[in-house]
Amino acid sequence: MARIALRHFVRILVTVVIGGIFAATLVRYAPGFESDEQALDSRLSNESVQALRNARAGERDVFAFYKSFLVSAAHGDFGTSRTLNRPVRELVSERLPVTMRLIGTGLLLGWALALLFAVSAVMVRFAPYDVLTTAVSGLILCVPSAVLGLIFVFANAPASLAIGLIVFSHVFRYWRNLLDKSYMMPHIVMARAKGLSPARILVFHVLPVSAGQLLAVCGISVSIALGAAIPVEALCGVPGIGQLAWQAALGRDLSLLVTLTFIVTIVTLLANTASEIFGQAFRVQEA
Amino acid sequence: MKRALRLLSCAALVFVLVLSAFAQGGELRFCIKSDPKTFNPVAVADDASETVRYLTGGVLVRVNRQTQQLEPELATSWKITNAGKTITFTLRPNQYFSDGTPFTAEDVAFTVKQLTNPNLHSPTGDAFRSGTGDVTSKILSGNKISITFPGAIAGLDRLFDQVAIMSARSPKKERAVLGPFFLADHKPGSYLYFRKNNNYWKKDAQGRKLPLLDAVRLDIQPNREIEVMRFRRGEIDLINSLDSDFYAKLQQGSEAQVRDAGASLDSEQLWFNQVPGAPIADYKKAWFKSQNFRRAVALSINRADLVRIVFGGHAQAAIGPTSPANKFWFNTKLKALPYDTQLALNLLKQDGFQLQGGTLKDAQGRTVEFSIVTNSSSKPRERMATMIQQDLSRIGIKVNVVTLDFPSMIERITAKFNYEAAILGFINTEMDPNSQMTVWLSSGENHAWNPNQKSPATAWEAEMDKLMQAQTQSPDPKKRKAAWDRVQEIVYEQQPMIYLVNKNALSAVSSNLVNAAPVVLRPQTYWNIDRLYLKSDADRSGK
Repeated sequence: MARIALRHFVRILVTVVIGGIFAATLVRYAPGFESDEQALDSRLSNESVQALRNARAGERDVFAFYKSFLVSAAHGDFGTSRTLNRPVRELVSERLPVTMRLIGTGLLLGWALALLFAVSAVMVRFAPYDVLTTAVSGLILCVPSAVLGLIFVFANAPASLAIGLIVFSHVFRYWRNLLDKSYMMPHIVMARAKGLSPARILVFHVLPVSAGQLLAVCGISVSIALGAAIPVEALCGVPGIGQLAWQAALGRDLSLLVTLTFIVTIVTLLANTASEIFGQAFRVQEA
Repeated sequence: MKRALRLLSCAALVFVLVLSAFAQGGELRFCIKSDPKTFNPVAVADDASETVRYLTGGVLVRVNRQTQQLEPELATSWKITNAGKTITFTLRPNQYFSDGTPFTAEDVAFTVKQLTNPNLHSPTGDAFRSGTGDVTSKILSGNKISITFPGAIAGLDRLFDQVAIMSARSPKKERAVLGPFFLADHKPGSYLYFRKNNNYWKKDAQGRKLPLLDAVRLDIQPNREIEVMRFRRGEIDLINSLDSDFYAKLQQGSEAQVRDAGASLDSEQLWFNQVPGAPIADYKKAWFKSQNFRRAVALSINRADLVRIVFGGHAQAAIGPTSPANKFWFNTKLKALPYDTQLALNLLKQDGFQLQGGTLKDAQGRTVEFSIVTNSSSKPRERMATMIQQDLSRIGIKVNVVTLDFPSMIERITAKFNYEAAILGFINTEMDPNSQMTVWLSSGENHAWNPNQKSPATAWEAEMDKLMQAQTQSPDPKKRKAAWDRVQEIVYEQQPMIYLVNKNALSAVSSNLVNAAPVVLRPQTYWNIDRLYLKSDADRSGK
């Protein structure tokens, strides 16, 4: 068990470090990295404009920047945001709970909706209902997250509901097919033929069989929710790390973007690892 | 009976007066685009911080945004001496910061010291840089202070409009303020909440203590579309600096809520890249350096169409570096360039350009073609570029429009110089030409067409350098005006910057907001924030 945990920890660490350098390189070589909008202020003297430009000198060599960034990060210092002129650590600690609450609520909502409709679809087995639920989830899947966010802004509805719908649209079909497959298993067909109640079949026979794969999808949906949080927060004015990432990208804010890459990578990998471990546990139980 | 009636009418009058006194106040709400980068008033460099400073900062003198005249605030009087190097203020006695700390000359000295820190690098601080040497503050008495700068500073007194006095002794540091409001709460990324400063010194003509509002809430909202939607819903009370599209949308909903204050100080302009080392073809550089070529392009742009189509009539054809809205500094001798393609072709002929089969060719027979870069985040600029493309096709010039995101564009025009022509706007927060020194000096970083010149590349740029230096060192406003008038004339003759339009100052103001009188100077809608108030529910329902 300890060896498995260590293996996962090393994998997460290596991925985070590689992801960080990749993000830093992309930002560093993005067009406009060298620019600063403030430099266009005609009230600034030449010396001040030069000072603004020199402020980026430490970020020009991406490898030197990344090395010093990692050393400082190891001591809990993630640098200062250029766009917001505040320590990155402060910004993240203020906003991470907001995003976690938003995607937490969204995920619970999305999973609940997906499970409700998936279970009802396989239990009811009424073709029009199946078509309707599939069409609705497909339609939501086709709508970009940003557009969905905008709809919720105009409707004055909570942003977590937008995240919930995005998660639902990604999860529903997969879960419905999974449950459908489980219902077709010989021992469940036999149980239905013997007249066991649908609820009993679902709780004691179908869900335990499908639990591992259902959880794996839960892990994937965490990264879906996190990705959706960026446009949704930016549009709905939710002060979370999604909004922060949006501002950082527009301002080519290197320290902030690398830190946010770390966070997103860690959260995604932890969610995937957790679902993997749970899945394995369920498979062992089944065996 | 008569006596009873009299008593009753007196009682009614008192009741009405009391009611009207209580009718003021309320919480004003509007949006800013981003979190303020700083709460330190001397380090302000972004719009959001500027807004916070305006709401909270107490200043010694204030430029009245309506009359454009300088008025006393925390200083009751001031005097400039020593050939423009020294300013002496007499301060308003018995004033207190929002936290109760007394306001003294020591605070002014402290603020000036912070302001003139050479490592500050802020637009406010840079305005006070003059020559080498230290700035000295001398406290003459409890309410009198003289500040001496190493060199003369033109328009020195007006610069103090931007200087919010900080407390030298308050434990709250920059959070202790002398302005009408103080920051009570801030949720980063979401909102800022300001409460009325009970120690604010000002009273209105009726003797009422200002500010009239109880609180101001600034919601952080980068998206203008959503801001407009919230205004329509009545969630916010005003919108500053609207563009013409949103103005038209709001106008359809409620004519009474939109305001057009006329031409602002801001300008939109086109210029050609004249940087000698720019990575563009030499023959193109030769075109762009030609005065006739630049003037021909300027004459071929139909500004009236730009005003009508792009800005829906809410702009004026621009004449030069100073907008006609800037009453003192605008050179009234200059008139808008005519739209005259024939005159443009005649000028081009003088440089050997020929119109062949609808295509303009240079003296060597090369087709005249160039690209204009502009930022994709500005629809009006994109549209202007497209219309200029159409206008120039009438004299045989082929234009390609390239839109870039703003950081990429800034990098191209300020660092890599990998562009041929650009359209961008200037936001002028100050009326004094001194605030444009880096634009007009050939050695300036913002001398857009050819920045950072070691020595002036042309005779007219050398003349502009001399004029700019002369006006900045002269304490005499008339001499300064004469020098700046000549600079405007040179720009008009040479067209290094082809001025297109001065956008109008458009805003939206809720009908519940009383005393709102939007003007062209920033901040257009809340320049008189201490006198604004919201109608009470009783007033709104017409009771």
